[in-house]
Amino acid sequence: MNPTRRHLLGSALTLGAMQLFPGMSHAQARKLVFATFTGSWEEAHRDVLVPAFKKATGQDMLLDAMLSVDQIAKVSAARSNPPIDVMLHDPGPALTAISQDLVEPFPVAGSKNFKDLIPEAQDPMGPSMFFQVVGLTYNPDKIKTPPTSWADLFKPEYKGRVGITNLNSTLGTGFLVELARMNGGSEANVEPGFKAIERLKPSLAAVAANPGALAALYQQGQIDISPGNFNAIQILKARGVPVEFVAPKEGAIAFKTSIHIVKNTPNKELAAALIDVALSPEVQTRLMQSPYLVVPTNGKVKMEGEIAKVLAKDTAELKKKFVFQDWKKINEQRPEWIARFNREIKV
Amino acid sequence: MSSAQRQAPSTLVLQGVLFGVAALAVLLLLAPTVVVIVVSFTNGYSLKFPPPGYSLRWYAALADAWQLQFAALNSLKVAVGATTLCVLLGVPAAMGIARSESKTARALDSLFMSPLILPALAFGLASLIYFSRLHVNLSLATLVAGHAVVGVPYVIRTTVAALSQLPPALLESSASLGASRAYTFRRVTLPLIAPGIAAGAFICFMSSFDNVPVSLFLRDAATDMLPIRMWQDLEGKLDVSIAAVSSLMVLVTLVSMIAMERLTGISKRIR
Amino acid sequence: MKNAVSVSGYSVAFAAPLAVYFLLFFVAPLAVLVFISFYADPQLGRMGLDQYRTIATDGFSLPVLADTLWLGVQVTLLCLLLGYALSWSYVRSPPPLQKVLMLIIVMPLLTSVVVRTFAWVVILGRQGIVNSALLDLGWIDGPLKLLYTRGGLVVALANVQLPLMALPLITALQKLDPNLEDASAALGASAFRTFFRITLPLTLPGIVAGCLLTFAASITAFISQSLIGGGQMLFMPMYIYQQASTLQNWPFAAAISLVFLVAVLACVALFNQLGRMSRGHAAG
Repeated sequence: MNPTRRHLLGSALTLGAMQLFPGMSHAQARKLVFATFTGSWEEAHRDVLVPAFKKATGQDMLLDAMLSVDQIAKVSAARSNPPIDVMLHDPGPALTAISQDLVEPFPVAGSKNFKDLIPEAQDPMGPSMFFQVVGLTYNPDKIKTPPTSWADLFKPEYKGRVGITNLNSTLGTGFLVELARMNGGSEANVEPGFKAIERLKPSLAAVAANPGALAALYQQGQIDISPGNFNAIQILKARGVPVEFVAPKEGAIAFKTSIHIVKNTPNKELAAALIDVALSPEVQTRLMQSPYLVVPTNGKVKMEGEIAKVLAKDTAELKKKFVFQDWKKINEQRPEWIARFNREIKV
Repeated sequence: MSSAQRQAPSTLVLQGVLFGVAALAVLLLLAPTVVVIVVSFTNGYSLKFPPPGYSLRWYAALADAWQLQFAALNSLKVAVGATTLCVLLGVPAAMGIARSESKTARALDSLFMSPLILPALAFGLASLIYFSRLHVNLSLATLVAGHAVVGVPYVIRTTVAALSQLPPALLESSASLGASRAYTFRRVTLPLIAPGIAAGAFICFMSSFDNVPVSLFLRDAATDMLPIRMWQDLEGKLDVSIAAVSSLMVLVTLVSMIAMERLTGISKRIR
Repeated sequence: MKNAVSVSGYSVAFAAPLAVYFLLFFVAPLAVLVFISFYADPQLGRMGLDQYRTIATDGFSLPVLADTLWLGVQVTLLCLLLGYALSWSYVRSPPPLQKVLMLIIVMPLLTSVVVRTFAWVVILGRQGIVNSALLDLGWIDGPLKLLYTRGGLVVALANVQLPLMALPLITALQKLDPNLEDASAALGASAFRTFFRITLPLTLPGIVAGCLLTFAASITAFISQSLIGGGQMLFMPMYIYQQASTLQNWPFAAAISLVFLVAVLACVALFNQLGRMSRGHAAG
């Protein structure tokens, strides 16, 4: 057989082999992809949202856990054919996503649950699905007196036991701004914050890649105290890992997290359906309960139990007690902060 | 005789040192596997060693771990596809370059082996950018294409080695007895090099299943791959069910390794 | 003769399908990588040498590269110590033990790197074996920080890559003519002298081969560097991944991966040269 015929035969065999394996051709319709957050969020959504979606639409969906900033990067790199259908965003990246024209408006008219949301959550470009709270988390078995202030992280007795995340997450960036504020700065002037981190470096046991990883460090006993996300530790607590949340006296940071349909998604109707399911009282109530303790945005859901005790009884109290940061200002400089942090944090 | 007596103590000391370090090395090679298997039976949520108690719960949890299952199935599909492609393309290539002194053959040999030397990460990124510029969507097919490139050197290496060990006299006598080249290949060569091909295919399969650098860039949520999924789970949650998955993978590797050693004497072929 | 190829060889044309495949799926992507690295901005607007200029002058990228290569050196040296002792003991073991040893050495190569690295996370963790053992022995008061340290990373990597070092060394030691060692002993040399003057130099090609494989593997060990090194250590693999995937800055990612590729190739060439020289030395 001469080489050309052999080549053609080879190609034909290859193509034939590929046809034998379904899922390898890209002509198939793909399942809905929801980019959620890492760690306890992924678990909460996997346990509650995925089955609820299946019940409502009869379809399966996929979870791809990544930080908000990573979602923006992935979607803006492939605008015409995004790998994600529904995004979850903290306030900073949400502003970026909308301003960069990466999202579609949510079809409010067709939604059962949108009108039940509290007024702050009703944004047609991306309704808010829950609130997050950031404060101090610590291991009560190792640290007997609960910390009361961000400054407690710098205590010499905690040397080698402190954990933080990098600035890619809202947790990390919010913490930096609070450190700056504590030292005379603000969202506009975050230099005191960086200086504070430099002072904190010798105490650091680990710098985690995301809040989920930070929470996992408690599980392994690698850290005993850190700035932490209220929800990130709840599932661990439920499993008996010793970890507690406490709001620092300077005020815990609160922010709303919104859910968006990605522009040019092939699964627009399913994406809208998922968001409606996520805003429904059933899902929000389930997520509010133990062990997830997610702060709801649907007005029909009363804040009860752990959340009412530890955080706030209703949204009005939430708005009074907690610090809300200026994400528009933060967004302007976040990329430089991230680059600077990555340089300075290296041992 | 006196020189032998003079040597004995130094020999013993040398042997003591080297055997001692070797024993340490063996311990270090075995410890990870043992640790992972033991930890997978823990009844708690942390990776404490020794575990506080024992239970099969994490193996039971695997039944619900649909993300891991999905990723494992994808990895399996891609590994089968890539290995098939590697054998279909690699065996003829090995035949073409084995025992050939021509400059083309030497150059092709270097080309085909180069994925082994280049950092596969650079190749993974290159593939991602390449497919994106060509507007080819990422899928299991693009993963197969990438894995095949980094896997085919293994098939070629073992097949070339097998071909080199064929006594030329065997082929010449087959020809002199009137057999056509195709017949000689089918009835003489192929059966003799089959173990070599199988060994190469096995290594190609395992390296594809465990591949990180190429999968890292070419995967997305719909084509999740097991090593990447496990890494992300480990980074984000430290889920003990990863220990259970790991133990199962070790068991499968052990069993298939022993089988391949029996069938093809694989340990001699990957040196 | 119908064609110039003898009956025991096959025409080079048999390699054509794979050659075409490699052109399409190996050479072309790398060419695209080079091309992309010459864009000056992530939006792929203008061309320029900006990415390379940034790498040369930002005071960050080159140290990351240097640190990555240094990590490779550290791991290779530790691996050489462990691997040589292991291989030396292997060739002096009885055949049944050799079978078992070979299984133990080869199996990690076929086990997923995530699994092996995960095992080291368990071993080095604050609640892991090493700390548990040291605490039980009373040698330390509180658990040591082994994870997320340079030392922990070097030890873990050396163990993960140990088979790559051991296999070429075993091959080299098996090729060693035992008569040479006997002759040296008969001439009155101590075992150490024989080892350092005869055995080591004659197995130099194997040492170079093992070092090359270990070095290349350890500097590209993305998973191990990430899981055991932690967030405060940055090496080239994670740097490339961050720039490409997280920041979607493809031109810069392409540029640093090419710089990395060239550095690795330079090291490979260096090792190959050492290998050639050592073969001459071993033969002479």
